[in-house]
Amino acid sequence: MKIKFIPMMFFFLLYLGINKMYAQEQPQANGDTISPKIEEVKKSIDLLKTEIDILKKIKFSGYIQGQFQLADRVGTKTYEGGDFSPISDKRFMVRRGRLKLAYMGDLTQYVLQIDVTEKGFALKDAYASFTEPWLKTFGITVGVFNRPFGFEIPYSSSLRESPERARMSQILFPGERDLGAELVIQAPKTVRIWSGFKLEAGLFSGNGINPDFKEIKDFIGHLTYTGSTKNELFKYSAGVSYYNGKVYQGTKYIYSMNTLKDNMTKGFTVDSAATNKGGYAKREYFGADIQLIIATPVIGITQLRGEFIMGQQPAYDNLGSTSTSDATFSKTPPTRDTYIRKFNGAYFYLVQNIGKSKFGIVVKYDWYDPNTDVKGQDVKPTYSYTDGTGTVIPNNKTLLSASDIKYQTLGIGVNYKMTENIKWTVYGAWVVNEKTGITGYGGDLYDNVYTLRMQYKF
Amino acid sequence: MKKIILTATAIILCVSVINAQKVVCKIKGSDTCLPLSQKLSEKFMKKYAGSSISVTGGGSGVGISALLNSTTDIAQSSRPLSMDEKLKLQEAGKAYKQTIIAYDAISFIVNPANGVNQLTREQLEGIYTGKIKNWKEVGGADMTIVVYSRESSSGTYDFVKEHVLMKKNFASTCMLMPATGAIVQSVSQTKGAIGYVGLAYVEKNVKALKVSYDKGKTYVAPSVANAKNKTYPITRPLYYYYLNSTEKTILPFINFILSAEGQQIVLTEGYVPIK
Repeated sequence: MKIKFIPMMFFFLLYLGINKMYAQEQPQANGDTISPKIEEVKKSIDLLKTEIDILKKIKFSGYIQGQFQLADRVGTKTYEGGDFSPISDKRFMVRRGRLKLAYMGDLTQYVLQIDVTEKGFALKDAYASFTEPWLKTFGITVGVFNRPFGFEIPYSSSLRESPERARMSQILFPGERDLGAELVIQAPKTVRIWSGFKLEAGLFSGNGINPDFKEIKDFIGHLTYTGSTKNELFKYSAGVSYYNGKVYQGTKYIYSMNTLKDNMTKGFTVDSAATNKGGYAKREYFGADIQLIIATPVIGITQLRGEFIMGQQPAYDNLGSTSTSDATFSKTPPTRDTYIRKFNGAYFYLVQNIGKSKFGIVVKYDWYDPNTDVKGQDVKPTYSYTDGTGTVIPNNKTLLSASDIKYQTLGIGVNYKMTENIKWTVYGAWVVNEKTGITGYGGDLYDNVYTLRMQYKF
Repeated sequence: MKKIILTATAIILCVSVINAQKVVCKIKGSDTCLPLSQKLSEKFMKKYAGSSISVTGGGSGVGISALLNSTTDIAQSSRPLSMDEKLKLQEAGKAYKQTIIAYDAISFIVNPANGVNQLTREQLEGIYTGKIKNWKEVGGADMTIVVYSRESSSGTYDFVKEHVLMKKNFASTCMLMPATGAIVQSVSQTKGAIGYVGLAYVEKNVKALKVSYDKGKTYVAPSVANAKNKTYPITRPLYYYYLNSTEKTILPFINFILSAEGQQIVLTEGYVPIK
């Protein structure tokens, strides 16, 4: 018995001994020696706290989006990250490599953000802002920052559920940012009535992230109201936006849409008054946006977003590019002709998180019609008319081109939030263009793009 | 030899089971939950040696922010998550759980020298929105009302705004206090003061008002019994939020809170048990 008992006790005491090593030790009660030490520790903590409070104001953040894409054919022209190489339908790319430094004071902020990819280095944000200390309602921001228009422009690319913004956002606001100054009015949460409203309005150069060479500045404004239900299960936000700007006219040739000589066909006619050169064409947008967020216990969070923009967009020349954003992203005063078009566009998002899982589904539909004066087969390069003598005059130029074709895009994707830092996205963008009389655009182009992306964010 | 090994194994297993109850974690957030969390963690640590649970306040919003940036294991909160917080957790890929640990009755307190003993919800709304500025307007002495509130990061602030002020904004003249204890101290020292605190914070140096939600027909005093029988109208759940990834390590503590022993502590501390 004795022999058996000793090993048992040995095991038991050994195990208890190991556990006691990890047990919480109780401090020896000795007031004379403990109190001064506690005071010393308190002083050190206060000193450390002061230094930590200063350091906490400096924030580094960033994200990298590495992706692989597959297009329907080589050389696909696309708004899913830029055109493909003329000899390839597959590519790797670092779509965005952002590094952001911010210094957050109590009512002030300094932000510098750069983008570094295999394509090069680019400035994204460089601005300072402050809010007045009395009402904490009025603020000013100066520098290069997101244009205050709509929802999708200021919504971070790291949060957005689809890889790219809608076509209209990329065309109308290339680079998203502009150089200027804005006033922000938003009452703090504790102020009656007004705290749901936010007004952002400012003057900008109108050239994106480029030097300001224009005499006339562009006005951009966005007014939103945000609210939620009592139980925070439903949140809504609605806004209206307005852009009033000017595009420099580099030559005396200003082209605008009119009815042509056959009294039927629409196309560009030219105004060639000498005084046009050095003047300005109107750039004006009207926008409305809405966001709804619904949280249901089992299904998860559902987000519905929509935005509509219409207006007048001046563009340079008629080189047949599908983009009309060249006039609004110019580094220097242009020396090219100006084309003026009326446009409209919209996007709609449905984002559904799957319960409390890490998965989410996104469905997006958007359209952009760069020239609402013409549709379908009316978008053609030439027309015929009968002159006063009854002679048919063929092959007159309408000056319409690929820049006047309407596009619709349906995107469907899945996001997986693997960890706090990593998000995977699989996304397909199916693009349908208007069938027109322009050579090469008689049918729907093979320009769908499929994306697999990994984002690391910190 | 077989018997020795079996007995030793059994002893080791028993000790392991006890040690599996050991919890090391941080709790941060609601001031309303603070006294309760401190008591519960104290009892738990005494029961399970080796456990270390630190509890700090700062407000429900502060606790939830800490959960988002992984500087706390449990966010204690006197309000449910807001939509923005749910979206941020979703965006961060952080699946979370919500557990109701107790209920709390919000008490409106005045200085003991104040002659007013009861107010309707409408009168409370009027006082806190700045429409009613003098105690004589509600049957008291001719004395300016000094209004104390919690700061906007507080879940109690949010709850009072939703359920007492019916989403109207607090008057800009409200004195915003960072902690519940500061409200109790200020009200006890200021004759014309009014404030709101969780029931567990009501002490002898302040007076809790009876409240009516039927325009003065019936007035009910804040108490555990009245909160339990649902006659006191300003009660709300108290939550613990934690991530699925840390659930396993803190589960023994959560189970302890929800057990009969834990709920008895809830009752003793002046909160309302969940059953």
